[in-house]
Amino acid sequence: MDSNQNDYHISFFKPTTALAKWNRNLAIKLILIWAVAVFGFQFLLRLIEKPTPENAYVKYEQVWENISTENASIEEMQTFAHTSLSVLGKLIIKPDQKVSLSNALSWVTYQLADSLQKESLFNQTKDLEKIRSEITSISDPVYLEAKNALSNLANSILGLQKTDPRRLIVALSLVSNDMEVFKAENKALVPTIMSTYLIHNQSILTDTKFLGFPFHYFYTAVFLLILFVFLCWLYCYRVDKKNVELDIEE
Amino acid sequence: MPSFLFAAGASTQLEGGFKLGPAIILITILCVFVLVGIIFRAKDTTDFYAAGRSISRVGSGMAIASNWMSAASFLGMAAIMYGSGYHGLAYVVGWTGGYVLLLILMAGQIRKYGKYTAADFIGDRYYSKGLRATGAIIAILISISYCVGQFGGIGLMFKWILGIDYAIAVIIGGSVVLVYTLISGMLGVTKNMQIQYVIIIISFLIPLFILTFKFDYFWLLPQIGYGSVVSDIVSGIPIAETTQMFNALGHEYAMVPAPEFAMPWDSATGQTFFQWMAIAFSLMVGTAGLPHVIQRFYVVPKARDARWSVVWGLFFICILYWSAPVYSAFGKILSANPEVGKLSKDAIVVYTAQLGGINPLIVGLLAAGGVSAAFSTVSGLLVAGASAFSHDLYVKVLYPEASPKKQLLMARVGTVVMAIIVTAIALLKLGLIAQLVAVAFSLAGCTIFPLFLLGIWWSGSNKQGAIAGLIAGGLVSLIAITYFVAGVKGVDLPASAFVAKWLGAWFFAWIGAPLAILVNIVVSLITPETPIEIRKFLVQNVHS
Repeated sequence: MDSNQNDYHISFFKPTTALAKWNRNLAIKLILIWAVAVFGFQFLLRLIEKPTPENAYVKYEQVWENISTENASIEEMQTFAHTSLSVLGKLIIKPDQKVSLSNALSWVTYQLADSLQKESLFNQTKDLEKIRSEITSISDPVYLEAKNALSNLANSILGLQKTDPRRLIVALSLVSNDMEVFKAENKALVPTIMSTYLIHNQSILTDTKFLGFPFHYFYTAVFLLILFVFLCWLYCYRVDKKNVELDIEE
Repeated sequence: MPSFLFAAGASTQLEGGFKLGPAIILITILCVFVLVGIIFRAKDTTDFYAAGRSISRVGSGMAIASNWMSAASFLGMAAIMYGSGYHGLAYVVGWTGGYVLLLILMAGQIRKYGKYTAADFIGDRYYSKGLRATGAIIAILISISYCVGQFGGIGLMFKWILGIDYAIAVIIGGSVVLVYTLISGMLGVTKNMQIQYVIIIISFLIPLFILTFKFDYFWLLPQIGYGSVVSDIVSGIPIAETTQMFNALGHEYAMVPAPEFAMPWDSATGQTFFQWMAIAFSLMVGTAGLPHVIQRFYVVPKARDARWSVVWGLFFICILYWSAPVYSAFGKILSANPEVGKLSKDAIVVYTAQLGGINPLIVGLLAAGGVSAAFSTVSGLLVAGASAFSHDLYVKVLYPEASPKKQLLMARVGTVVMAIIVTAIALLKLGLIAQLVAVAFSLAGCTIFPLFLLGIWWSGSNKQGAIAGLIAGGLVSLIAITYFVAGVKGVDLPASAFVAKWLGAWFFAWIGAPLAILVNIVVSLITPETPIEIRKFLVQNVHS
């Protein structure tokens, strides 16, 4: 009875037949390739990455001290407005942080305007806010006219280049009630907001391009899936071949 | 903050009212599904549970892909990547990489074991009626959890097409899928899945060719051509001075640099390296433990077919998974203007096609494809859940003498009850589609996966070990899901920050699955050996 019982044991790590051993070895090899390809690569990414600031962050750092003490020059204020727009243009920004940065942008734009522009800037922003709360379509001609007028004025104040995509969001980021004061609570949040949105984990693997992709993105989104299909195909092919060799009919 | 408010934002414009063209496409497709279901309807319980074991390996591969390509794949993946960038690729990798585990460790052996359902296997392998019943209940819970996300997707698409309220859309969509599943059973479902796969993949791919062509990228293979779209997002797109391109709302094709879309575990997304790894791992082990996926291997004639059906299934699945990130990338650029407003992430696939100015009928086909994706999965899940209810609980545990007619009736009652429960939960809108579906994966990874893995590969795993492992995995699941629901409902439980960080609802299997395996092994080693008949069966039938 005991010897019979000992004949019937299955253990992945202790195969009792040559076929089981072969199957175990194949499974281990393929799973190792799979695990290293998936998780090993992500560990490698993690290992070599460095916090890398966007250009906007570098410029922000250069001017922030003077902005926060309200001693900034015109160029510094323009630079600060540009970096604020770089974050405001990100879809991912959280609503409360958007409020803080909108205050920063509105205030700095207002500070940059001359006395004549100040009144227009305030009134046009206020008008646009009112129209936006009433329209049923963003193609509304009155809305478009008000938006374009404010956009032209604000862009001329901020000195944004013609091809700069930040031009597209200025008019929609200004808040009339936030123009005169850069609130202390919002000012305190700016450094955290800037570092959160403008510093990224980068390395040679993220900066190298492959077929147009950042390499790490191609590897994870495209290559790994090809590898999975290949590993599955290889397993089936090898098992079929072995079954033919040993004349096994399943 | 008046500056961010619109009386009617662009998102409302995109949503629109009733859309005749898309509605006709959707109704036609649904009629085809029901018709095919009737033609190939289940004649008896063997047909209902396992399609008479008459499906070819390519056909089964298509059915696996269709069964798998749910609303979470069709709508949810692009949604996650649109919102969280590289983090979303953890879902892409997790939901495909799991098939390697499934194939190498389980597919052929499961078919050789020769049962109908996951609970059948558990009850038989661990020689316990109690475990069979528990397995059946877990299978039902997993099916319900999985279906919730699907019903959410169906609701979103019905809402978009019919221009009706989300709640009504969920109820209508849920009713239609229920009727279809009841009429057809699994034979009809399997045939339908092959048709559904074709519809799903065509509807998903056509807009990609148009988008890449229209916005001047390499369009012959959009799955590669969008690499430049990703790089453009990272570096930013200036306003073109000469050949300008616009989205459907008239906004320039331009955006500020957004490296957070592609860079790993970016602080802007709020997601961490640990979460990426834990999600990928949980989804992988979950894949190998999902009852409705495992059940697909019972419908092929031989173990060899079961193995090759995985290869085909994975290939068909990957066609969609290579494509989903394209929508998120284009969606990111086309909705970059703040005027577009806040879009429902789970519908970003459809919104992207709309913003890309694609013909409304093609967008309608895309939305109908989304519904098909959800339908194909829901029908498989409802059948798996109903099988667990009628076959594993009612017949095998409660009334072994029940006639086949009675069994079929109970399967249908089970389907109706499940659909009602799922509809009720879907109306609560607990999270994004992909996240809700990920809960089902973690649950499967903590419970079913360890039982199958050890049950097949270690004859030493016995009833006591299985029970102990199930308790360990079940406890981890219970804690994670309780904290998740409490968090959604605003109830603050002790150590909630800790649990949210390490035991999130979408990735608790990273610890639950290894723990359940470990407990199973330890308890099995110190309790009586597995009976000789079971070990003999494993040696002679499963591993021969």
